[in-house]
Amino acid sequence: MTDWNAMSDADFRKEVRQFFEAEYPEELRHLPHRPKFAEIEHWHRKLHAKGWVAPAWPAEFGGMGLNAAKLLIFYEEQQRWGVNRGRDMGVQMVGPLIIKFGTQEQKDYWLPRILSCEDIWCQGYSEPGAGSDLANLRTRAEIDGVDFVINGQKIWTTMAHDATHIFMLVRTDPDAPKKQQGISFLLAPMDQPGVDVRTITTLSGDTEFCEVFFDDARTPRENLVGELNKGWTMAKALLSFERIFIGSPSLAQNALGQLESFARGRGAFDDPVFRDHFAQAALDVEDHAALYARFADQLKRGETLGADVSMLKIWVTECFQRITELMIEAAGPDGGAIGPLQVGNVSVDVLASFYKARPTTIYGGSNEIQRNILSKAVLGLPG
Amino acid sequence: MTQTDILSSEQEDLRLLRESARTLFERAGGSERARKLRDAGGGFDAELVRELAEAGVFGVAVPEDQGGLGMGLAAGGVIAEEVGRVIAPEPVVLTIGLSLGLLRRLCPDHPKMAQLIGGEISLAVAWQERVPGGAPADVTCRYAEGRLTGSKAWVVGVTGSQGFLVVAEQDDGPVLVLAEADADGLVIDKRTQADGSSLGELSFSGTPAAELASGGAVSAALAEAVADATALAAAELVGLSERAFEITLNYIKTREQFDKPIGSFQVIQHRAVDLNVMCEVAQAGVREVLAHMDSETDPKVRNPIASRAKARAVTAAKKITRDAIQLHGAVGYADEFDIGLYLNRALVLSAWLGDDAYHRRIWFDAREAEGAAQ
Repeated sequence: MTDWNAMSDADFRKEVRQFFEAEYPEELRHLPHRPKFAEIEHWHRKLHAKGWVAPAWPAEFGGMGLNAAKLLIFYEEQQRWGVNRGRDMGVQMVGPLIIKFGTQEQKDYWLPRILSCEDIWCQGYSEPGAGSDLANLRTRAEIDGVDFVINGQKIWTTMAHDATHIFMLVRTDPDAPKKQQGISFLLAPMDQPGVDVRTITTLSGDTEFCEVFFDDARTPRENLVGELNKGWTMAKALLSFERIFIGSPSLAQNALGQLESFARGRGAFDDPVFRDHFAQAALDVEDHAALYARFADQLKRGETLGADVSMLKIWVTECFQRITELMIEAAGPDGGAIGPLQVGNVSVDVLASFYKARPTTIYGGSNEIQRNILSKAVLGLPG
Repeated sequence: MTQTDILSSEQEDLRLLRESARTLFERAGGSERARKLRDAGGGFDAELVRELAEAGVFGVAVPEDQGGLGMGLAAGGVIAEEVGRVIAPEPVVLTIGLSLGLLRRLCPDHPKMAQLIGGEISLAVAWQERVPGGAPADVTCRYAEGRLTGSKAWVVGVTGSQGFLVVAEQDDGPVLVLAEADADGLVIDKRTQADGSSLGELSFSGTPAAELASGGAVSAALAEAVADATALAAAELVGLSERAFEITLNYIKTREQFDKPIGSFQVIQHRAVDLNVMCEVAQAGVREVLAHMDSETDPKVRNPIASRAKARAVTAAKKITRDAIQLHGAVGYADEFDIGLYLNRALVLSAWLGDDAYHRRIWFDAREAEGAAQ
């Protein structure tokens, strides 16, 4: 088995880059939507055969065992080549929780099925009353013999209509003194009576998001991961790396590249006002990358990231939004038109970019929540 | 990120330099000292200049074989950030970036080098003129037979400097000359700036001056020195912004309204976070540029990234110092509160060597030219 961490960063980057460039199908590069599993299955098989499905997992569970620095490189190359992350909720979210908190039986049963995509997972955290205030969730699970019985509703469940299983935070002790207590982490099969999935049509006309309704749905008691009523601390424990990933420059960099070719084709650069707006946006991205590098260096030195990493998400997502707004500016009278606009030999879907940028300031803890975190944890402001 | 974390991510030698520069400037006195110098007519403290020289500050980017520390622009940036924090009016960036930037490239054996590094003198640099379009390349000031004729504009560091490095034209191209401050036929018209410093307009009528260098090397060295000074001024603005933010943060933690510190109100908190993020982005961007300039010799790369640094730093400093006044409320408008000194210094440093819109244009045009060349 290769010890990737022993390689130099440059060699590792080269190896990852070569594999993606040689093997990743051209037609799946920079996909504008989240693919259903069937669409990306062929690539997944290749990745699985290579043993590269789970770069962050320890090697003993079938992962690549990458340290933070190598992991960052892996994701950077993935984004650079436009490699779709596929259906990776299992790998990114539920796998690490099972590895850290699961029983031996849970590890033996679930982890290989995650890697092979025999089970396809979706994440059941958000609820209509519990978005950024996640601890406010109301979906209940009550023990009934050998099963939990689940009742309630999840929302904004990405690709639930293409999933076989859901991992979820549920309320198992409604009488707990604090709302963060009394929450448990539960795995449940979707294919059963009492689970109803409805897609949500978004502003852009897409249906990636779903609502999931539970009406006396059941899951065996052995599908509880970790201790009963300790789900909140467990779910929080795994957010650290996610927080730098969510603040990476790639979304904004890609959008900027698109903006540039589109605006050039449209002759928008003849306008000095547009030139200044473009320069501002481009410099915002460059200087964000400098700040991102500072946090990445911290990880590479083996340090843990502090709460201040939230500033990356705030800056880059708002920057991403401004860039997509500039695409609309460059489109002029076509700024409200649905579908790709052909300019020279490039085709740009102006509104798709704009819509894609909208939820980035909402998900992963809205930017207002990130500002609350920074004001308390970093600036030490009261109240 | 705490201050210690930021320091730990820096190279050890830069970290030590920052610590000693900070100690030196803090001992000299912060904004109160800047206020006193302003009220005394806008000069600087010659004693502090000598202390800075002893610590090697002015020669920091001068190669060792020319009598400097040879630590490069990144080290100059560290010092400039510390200058910015205490809004020191001493000509640090002017000397490291412009006057020594010119001399070390054009005449490293000249005795004025050692005097500048040693803090015995300071020299202002007269390179711009009020010409149509304001293009730095348009030089009408003439030099012939040892004498200067014409005028120069926007000369900083006039008060307290012993002489002027003047970029002029002679029959066969550009020339760099040295005119003493008390030379015959030199008239200095001073306009006071917001921070109390002066902006000089010089006019020469047959003013005696000594030739230091001539030819194409002068234009090249000028462009490089201006790029250095531009990036260093950006670093000074970063230090200034950081300190202005800290002062404001402390204020909103203690100022009470409606029986609570105003910093407990969410709208104030979110504005404070935005200023903090802006500060961190500027610091990261400007430090990256300075390090890059040390490893890069091609002016086609160095000049636009210097512009990138200044554009970023000016945008951040403007927003931070102006919002700082708002967050201080009415007292922010009173001269007796220190925060206004930061606003005024930011106004002067932003205008010097080009503001953010100017540098975005320079950066963008260079990017376009580079694209066209490929």
